[in-house]
Amino acid sequence: MRVHSVADVNGYIRGLVEGDGLLCDLWVSGEVSNLSESQAGHLYFTLKDGSSQLRCVFFRPRQPVAVESGMAVVVHGRISIYEVSGALQLYVDLVQPEGVGVLHLEFQRLKAALEEEGLFDEARKRPLPRLPRRIGLVTSPGGAVLHDIITIVGRRYPLVELVLAPTPVQGAGAVEGIVAALAALNERDDIDVIVVARGGGSLEELWAFNEEQVARAIYASRVPIVSAVGHETDFTIADFVADVRAPTPSAAAEVAVPHRLELEGHIRLAQRTLASALADDVARRRDGVERAANRLAALLPDIDRHRQRIDELAREVFIRVEGAVALCRERLRGRGLELGSLGPMATLGRGYALVQRTEDGEVVSAVRQVRRGDSIDVRVSDGELRGRVTATKEGLQPWMRDLPSKRH
Amino acid sequence: MDEGPSFEEALERLDDIVQTLQRGGLTLEEAVALFEEGMGMARICSQRLDAAELRISQLQADADEDVAPPGGSEMNR
Repeated sequence: MRVHSVADVNGYIRGLVEGDGLLCDLWVSGEVSNLSESQAGHLYFTLKDGSSQLRCVFFRPRQPVAVESGMAVVVHGRISIYEVSGALQLYVDLVQPEGVGVLHLEFQRLKAALEEEGLFDEARKRPLPRLPRRIGLVTSPGGAVLHDIITIVGRRYPLVELVLAPTPVQGAGAVEGIVAALAALNERDDIDVIVVARGGGSLEELWAFNEEQVARAIYASRVPIVSAVGHETDFTIADFVADVRAPTPSAAAEVAVPHRLELEGHIRLAQRTLASALADDVARRRDGVERAANRLAALLPDIDRHRQRIDELAREVFIRVEGAVALCRERLRGRGLELGSLGPMATLGRGYALVQRTEDGEVVSAVRQVRRGDSIDVRVSDGELRGRVTATKEGLQPWMRDLPSKRH
Repeated sequence: MDEGPSFEEALERLDDIVQTLQRGGLTLEEAVALFEEGMGMARICSQRLDAAELRISQLQADADEDVAPPGGSEMNR
């Protein structure tokens, strides 16, 4: 036999109590009595009903708690032992007046807690793949929901494979089933998206989707999750955690896969774009060739132009040469005339005469060259005549002054 | 499935080709070859869509956890 210390016993009890799944997370209803508030702001009270009491402590409530002795309340918390006094206590974290549905309270509590923990963060929501190949389906087999999803996916995008992970979605085994189905789908490496779906129902019927275990399984999923629980107006914790919330199971099928009409449109557009891109490309090249040909033609010497220019130059040369020749000819003629007018014969033609001494043929241009009796030959325009000098007289005669004098 | 690219592969290739062709900078031979390949991909996409039939399978229920309802492990419509 062994004797234990008090501390050992209390420690052992603490271990038992804190390891208990129910005692660590429970709702208790009762009437508040012996309410007191410590200096530090902790609330101490006893919760009692007809025959029983439970000591409660609410450490530093964040918001003022509207509670007073005699009030009927529902509280949430965990049971543990206060080893100093050996008393079992309820460590309270939420107090609500009685009369509010407990499911509703739990929903609010868990939602606030998970939200604070970051399970609903928008930043961690993952996009769904555009063209999923395999879609995991966590829902009840054989229900209308499954049928609807099969019909819609088959009509929109029959290229996928639906992988059904069947599970009860309400009542006993629902939470474990949903968690196991999510885990099993996550174990495979070929699931692109998971749809968690359930048809409409009461808050109680949808309750599995408000359980923390389900929320955490959704949060832990490697594969993006679409949740579709109940009707449009039903929001569950699962909806808040999922990557995408669809208002209904049918809507979930629609967000999970594209519509084949969209895809066919996309393909047709791609075909048209291809055709016009190639046509544009060819047109651009044709323009390029044309431009190059034009540039090339522009670079070639213009033979016709040169030929014409040569013609023009030749004509000009001919004209100039001809002109020069004519000019020379004209000048020649002028000079000829001039020469003619200077010659003695022309002078004779105008009535002058050439006088030469018969004796020696010397041209007589002055009176002193001859004497009286000398024979002289006189030449006129059409012949000669011979005469004798009969008289001489020097000095210009008055009539001679008017004659043009060429020499002297 | 017969051989050749899947719908997803063909569609992805088609989109790539459209982008490449629009970006330009190819030789004429390359452009024509891409155009023909793209048209082939579009044809494959359409054929795949037309030929597709929704496949439905069911996870094998764990032996020790009996959450699976009665029914075959493979059901086809």
